[in-house]
Amino acid sequence: MARFGMVIDTLKCVGCMDCVVACQTENDVPQGHCRDWIVTETRGTFPTLTMEIRSERCNHCDNPPCVTCCPTGASHVEDFGRTVQVTADKCIGCKACLSACPYGARFVHPDGYADKCTFCLHRVKDGLDPACVSVCPTHCMHFGDLDDPKSAVSQLLASRRHHTLLPEAGTKPRVFYLD
Amino acid sequence: MDETRRPAAAARAFWTLAAAGAAVLALALGAAHYMELHGHVVTGMSNQVVWGLPHVFAIFLIVAASGALNVASIASVFGEADYKPLSPLSVLLTVALLAGGLLVLVLDLGRPERLVVAATHYNFRSIFAWNMILYNGLFAICALYLWALLERRLAPLAKPVGLAAFAWRVILTTGTGSIFGFLVARQAYASGVIAPLFIALSLAWGLAAFHLAQAFFARLAGEAMDAAMLVRVRRLLGIFVVAALYFVAVHHLTNLYWAKQAAFERFILVGGAPYPALFWIGFVGLGSLVPLALLFHPRFAGARATSVAAALVALGAFAFLYVFIIGGQVFPLEIFPGYEARSAFHDGRVGSYAPSLPEFLLGTGGLAAAFLVALVGARALPILPAAAPAIPAAAAK
Repeated sequence: MARFGMVIDTLKCVGCMDCVVACQTENDVPQGHCRDWIVTETRGTFPTLTMEIRSERCNHCDNPPCVTCCPTGASHVEDFGRTVQVTADKCIGCKACLSACPYGARFVHPDGYADKCTFCLHRVKDGLDPACVSVCPTHCMHFGDLDDPKSAVSQLLASRRHHTLLPEAGTKPRVFYLD
Repeated sequence: MDETRRPAAAARAFWTLAAAGAAVLALALGAAHYMELHGHVVTGMSNQVVWGLPHVFAIFLIVAASGALNVASIASVFGEADYKPLSPLSVLLTVALLAGGLLVLVLDLGRPERLVVAATHYNFRSIFAWNMILYNGLFAICALYLWALLERRLAPLAKPVGLAAFAWRVILTTGTGSIFGFLVARQAYASGVIAPLFIALSLAWGLAAFHLAQAFFARLAGEAMDAAMLVRVRRLLGIFVVAALYFVAVHHLTNLYWAKQAAFERFILVGGAPYPALFWIGFVGLGSLVPLALLFHPRFAGARATSVAAALVALGAFAFLYVFIIGGQVFPLEIFPGYEARSAFHDGRVGSYAPSLPEFLLGTGGLAAAFLVALVGARALPILPAAAPAIPAAAAK
């Protein structure tokens, strides 16, 4: 069974936000909310500065605290690709998942349920990449099966240094950032 | 007052108070409807602060509900017969406070109309799902407990049911504390000490609520409070307030010991207005130290001083919960310590929260619902103890 993940090359990302716009358009994300966003992170003092630009979203963790805390099972791990999804009809809007997610990846949809990145599963089922990946002008984003050693994502992870967000939380994120 | 006119006056007072409670509750329902209609966006809440002022009211009511059982537990579980006449009021108050708290929680859901989903789909790995079972279970146990206390034929059941209620409320408060104790996504929480801290808080807040209710019903009936019982309640409340302070101190000292929590503690205790003021003045000063002075200084040995102390403990509870719930959420989780982040999102930024009027009205609706349940319950059932020996005039000041 596939285990989808995303690999983002921070050396290629220019922070253009095309991924953010594509996601909002593709998924009809309500105004004022976003399923993905850009973070610019700097370290050091001038002139020895380092900078990283990241496109962030739900990490579709292997050990998702949002799924554990959801009282009704609305937040669940989908069989297809082992991604974390929300069944809106089962969500009661208690916001437990918003509190439990260390990445702040969820928001309350105006209709009252918790919403977040789905890895564009509807597109992936049709053999397409998620919207954000497909529009990236620098091709810094890659999507695929992490359990398939021949996939682009597996080969990038095998050949490049990479990190995830907040690994000490034990969530085992599946969005990787290439250094 | 003329004895023949007393029932009429009592009835008038009952209906006036019930109407006042119903009016506040109606305002709360209107506020909940407004928030339901317009969504999360009309509240002060955001993606970062997902639990706002309604949760402060709800958690207070639920934690106090557990503690309101103190008096009944002392009688049934620990065999102190002097507390027995007060047991029915203790159990009724638990039901009332729990109902008020749950009303706020349910109406604060993004989709309250889907509550049936929560009752039919359980994820047993979720502490929230367990709490639903625990809250509903406490209702059922308290109903049986009250029945056993009021119905002579069921008297033999009072002790075992009382024991079950005692165990259940300890587990329930552990569950409420664990909602926060299990949260790794905020610097403020994720600590094993939060569950026992909530148990200690419940003892103090519940007994304070119980004393206020007892004093209210005694005044309504024009009767004096039992002087000996008042002395016991004062001592007990004082001990519980000290226990709560102890656990709060342990919680913060543990955080201060960890270097990674230093920034959060500085925010909550020193620099992150308005939270330090609420914590030190609201909870520690007015909510703990002043009540302790009122409870233990012989000069303030009367019923009125005890009521003031209990009211201050309840006020301090709101200050504590505001700091704990709101302050704990506005402080961001540091994803990469040492890095400076600029984000199109809210990473690394201290959030802000200003409660909106509908949120406040919803919260007060929980208090009104608890008040109404207690008021109607006390009128419909033989809950209140018979007239007690009067408090000496000097002590009753």
